[in-house]
Amino acid sequence: MTPEQLRDVTLHLLGEIAPEARRRDLAPDEPLCDALGLDALDVLTFVIAVHDTFGIDVPESDYDQLDTLRGCVRYLTRTRPGR
Amino acid sequence: MEPRADATPLYLAAAVDLQRAVDWLADTNARRPAPERLVMPALFLRAVVTALRDVPELNAPWATDDQTGQRRPVHLAVAVGRRAGGLATVILPDADRLALADLMRTFREAVALVRGGRTPGELAQATFTVTSLGDQGVQAVFPSIVPPQVAGVGFGRVTEQPAAVAGAIVCSPVVTATLAADQRVTDSQRGARFLALLDERLQHPEAL
Repeated sequence: MTPEQLRDVTLHLLGEIAPEARRRDLAPDEPLCDALGLDALDVLTFVIAVHDTFGIDVPESDYDQLDTLRGCVRYLTRTRPGR
Repeated sequence: MEPRADATPLYLAAAVDLQRAVDWLADTNARRPAPERLVMPALFLRAVVTALRDVPELNAPWATDDQTGQRRPVHLAVAVGRRAGGLATVILPDADRLALADLMRTFREAVALVRGGRTPGELAQATFTVTSLGDQGVQAVFPSIVPPQVAGVGFGRVTEQPAAVAGAIVCSPVVTATLAADQRVTDSQRGARFLALLDERLQHPEAL
């Protein structure tokens, strides 16, 4: 997957949790939790979606690396199995 | 106990130290794949359900009492913040029959549904309401009582608070739990007992 495709899939997963993600034009470095009003339960739901979609089990200690769209793409690029 | 005749709610609040719960949660989640991880509000819910076993009069309906020896099921309504503002309420039927992991999964899936814009289950069957505003920043939540329920509990935000431990000042994560209860069915002593039980259960998260 290209970075653009990873970004699109990330946005799709976020949109399933917070429909606002579909309407907003999120900047690459905008903090996702603030921009979308995500709480701990939403973050876990997102991490589970990443787990189910990409087969990546993101440990809690890595959650802060998923705090922006750019961070998500970077993390997924680095950790995706069979990339 | 001599129940009062009026329906004035009784409000009681207690600060609960969450250091053990926070440590246990971090340790437990580090060893679990994402779909099996827990969040703090799930520990609150489990603590509430188990405390209701010992103070069952807080769990509606109180008109049909348990003189028959039958179980009074706990159908938990949980009010959580909605991103657009206001509250979203979900219902967790037979919450007292769910172990912590199942309660967590049921809670997570129900919240995902209502936050995604779908309607919650049948709220009218709820026997007790928990309001958890978690990350919204208020220190304490004073819940209202939703008839025919007779009580509810609110959890504020988890904040770092100084406390004196063995002669030294240390900071630990603390949550304020606030009970609202109908004084026709309970009193301050029983209400205090409920809050003490909540505290006790959250000091032993491994047993939840």
